[in-house]
Amino acid sequence: MASTVFFQGGTLVLNDFGATEQPPQPFQWIKGHWRCEAYHYGALRSWFSENHIRDTVPRWEQLNYALHDSRQPHAYQQAALDAWENAAHQGSIVLPTGAGKTFVAIHAIHRVNRSAVVVAPTIDLLHQWYARLVNAFQTEVGVYYGGEKLVLPLTVTTYHSASDLIAQNGNAFKLLIFDEVHHLPAPSWGETALMSPSPFRLGLTATYPEEHEQADGRWRLEDLLGPIVYTEKIDDLVGEQLAEYRTERIRIDLTPAERQRYDADFAIYSNFFRSRQLQRTHGAGWLMELMRLSAFDHEARRALLARQRLQALLSNAEGKWTVLDQLLREYFHEQVLIFTENNAVAYAIARHHLIPIITHETKAAERKHILDHFQTGHYRAIVTSRVLNEGVDVPEAKVAIVLGGTASAREYIQRLGRVLRKVGNRQAVLFEVIARNTVDEGKAQRRRPRKAY
Amino acid sequence: MLTGDLIRPRLRKRGDQIQVDWLPDNPFWRRSAQDLITLFSQCLHQPRAQWERAVEKYEGERTDYIVLRGLAKVLSDAADFTPLDMSLDPEELRRFLFAQGPVFPQTDLFHPQSRQAVLQSSAQELGLTPDQLEHFLFADRPIENILADLGPAWTPETLIARYNLELARGVLYWASQLTIDIYDSYKDFWRYLKLFKLMFAASPHPQAGYHVILDGPISPFVQATTRYGRQFAAFLPALFLCDRWQMNAEIHIPAYDAVLQYHLDNHSTLLSHFKKSGEFDSRLEADFAAEFGSKFGETRGHWQLAREDEVILLGDTVLIPDFSFTHRKDGRRAIIEIMGFWHPEYLRRKLEKVRAANRHNLLLLVYEGVNLAKTALKDIPGEVLYFPNKPVLKDVLEAVERVAE
Repeated sequence: MASTVFFQGGTLVLNDFGATEQPPQPFQWIKGHWRCEAYHYGALRSWFSENHIRDTVPRWEQLNYALHDSRQPHAYQQAALDAWENAAHQGSIVLPTGAGKTFVAIHAIHRVNRSAVVVAPTIDLLHQWYARLVNAFQTEVGVYYGGEKLVLPLTVTTYHSASDLIAQNGNAFKLLIFDEVHHLPAPSWGETALMSPSPFRLGLTATYPEEHEQADGRWRLEDLLGPIVYTEKIDDLVGEQLAEYRTERIRIDLTPAERQRYDADFAIYSNFFRSRQLQRTHGAGWLMELMRLSAFDHEARRALLARQRLQALLSNAEGKWTVLDQLLREYFHEQVLIFTENNAVAYAIARHHLIPIITHETKAAERKHILDHFQTGHYRAIVTSRVLNEGVDVPEAKVAIVLGGTASAREYIQRLGRVLRKVGNRQAVLFEVIARNTVDEGKAQRRRPRKAY
Repeated sequence: MLTGDLIRPRLRKRGDQIQVDWLPDNPFWRRSAQDLITLFSQCLHQPRAQWERAVEKYEGERTDYIVLRGLAKVLSDAADFTPLDMSLDPEELRRFLFAQGPVFPQTDLFHPQSRQAVLQSSAQELGLTPDQLEHFLFADRPIENILADLGPAWTPETLIARYNLELARGVLYWASQLTIDIYDSYKDFWRYLKLFKLMFAASPHPQAGYHVILDGPISPFVQATTRYGRQFAAFLPALFLCDRWQMNAEIHIPAYDAVLQYHLDNHSTLLSHFKKSGEFDSRLEADFAAEFGSKFGETRGHWQLAREDEVILLGDTVLIPDFSFTHRKDGRRAIIEIMGFWHPEYLRRKLEKVRAANRHNLLLLVYEGVNLAKTALKDIPGEVLYFPNKPVLKDVLEAVERVAE
């Protein structure tokens, strides 16, 4: 009987190939079959054909998509693509932030013209890739993560979900692209690259991991993807990212009823916090410790609940609604982004003002629709609960309103520096709406950009 | 299944062992379980959000909220939540309404229409009421799904038992490998193993039973992947269908930096909610066994009939012959596989296995009308016996005499 090779859960398995025969090195005799990691597929292909082993692995197809992006690649993007092609379509391209890595990947997909999967670190970036690929190829694009699972010849997934996708459908893609590939050396994420038979592999990053970041049980990118095929250091590409905008802080007062509830809960919370000195004993991990204690310590449980009530109250304070109402009226002719502390408030605002909303529940297609139509001015405002995070392209807005948020200074700058851009002489503006004499003020203080920026 | 955050706090480390802090079936917990069951049934035909609020309210300031959430999750998981029946796609509605936003309760120069007025005119245009628009706007959120069916008829006892089972399963999320010894009732074990697409390496014990190591395709090539933990967890209740077994798992929980052992065996009081397969795969088998029983009984004749008492290990699969005959005096054995009216693909795989088993004491009983060319059975080791309607016992016994060894 003729031998065949098939793909099974991230491995290659030889069928009807005897235990006494000797296949090449990577194969091992395990559970009655010769098996190896699917990753070796590219190197084994010639051996399969020389030995008349029927190869049932590839399930990828030709794409034949027209490229709907008239922009010409820059010289360095062209050079990067050529270098990758000359390296047998294997390896990483290192480009600074803002140098158009996505654009390079789109051209790589177009040149290869075979089914491809893109692995992105976060769901936000997944959505961004989805939108870019749909725009570039004007075709339906698959998305595979917790919320949606649709596998198409061109599919986007996250590092987290990639292993399931690859285990089941790894052989559906000839080209495997890792965005922000410096995440790949992590033990479980690297396994994904090992389980994929895709002969063509592309890694993209601005910060290629150091040697020590690829050792001690972590994967080596070179083993998984191939070497660095191209590096470009364009110092000035980054510098102009930070937009010019001003911050205005609007302080509101809690209503008497809110103040009463606030003070009562704050007393419970702060008394516990002080008496146990959690911050001194547990540093930045104090919240984790509080949660751990709350499962058996009644005082801790009460403190945690008080803290949750405080946050709910602040995120939903009446004064913030009033200010939001005023700002939306005042800036009725501008594109406005509203950031809330949590989903519940975001949905309440969306309902109250009839404003499109983006949260982690929002599906890729609706999200793209909202962002596209915000860009054209069809939608005037978007409300979101912190999902438009760093590294994600969000449409430019002239006005951002932050109704809460615990973001660090760095995240804050990265997030809003992208969002708010000065156009002509008109400066963008960021409103922080905070409740006077509450923990909001401390939070906003921490969130303020430091001088260094 | 429970989420990791509801399981981890119920685990205890004892030396290199990890143990589950089982929920005792006592009056206190029965009371809580009963309260939650009652609350849940009150939420029938209501949105999921209402059930979640009810649980939160019930938790109050109790410090055992992790258990309560776990019990509540068991109830939710076994129930059926379905989307609201709508005459309108909520996403379409949002596109339609949001194109008119932002709106405000009060009008001003630039917003001459109040929120109420916008809803009113939109409703009119869509042939609905403003209340319906409010209702449908985010009706596609999971939290708006309606509790349509409560699932099993829970009692406090069954809920606590099921919760404990879910804890036992949950530990396996962090398992890299399962080692199992089973000594009887194999059939369901292998059946569920297949169902959950796990890989195994099995070897027979000298006396009876099998030593089985479970993992997944990529396991042999990486250090200790917990990639298959969810599949192990899903599979676990199948073990409780066996009468005598033990299981050991290697557990890698990031919070403990050591590899821990997790042990379970048939002394655990956990109950399976999986179904035992019916005693017979087909009518043919049932009739055959009945006829044998009525003619020879348990104690008469030379041959003892047994069902599925042997597992033939074949690399990554097994063959479990339908019957075996064992001679009462000299211990000779013959095994029997019946091939009836099955799907051609099933027959093909079955034949592949029969060939791979390469057993000369195998008697293949084949229905004459079977969808299989006679030439396909030419080189079968052992003997093939055709039957027109049902196997003729006399012929079978003669053949058994010939092939038994």
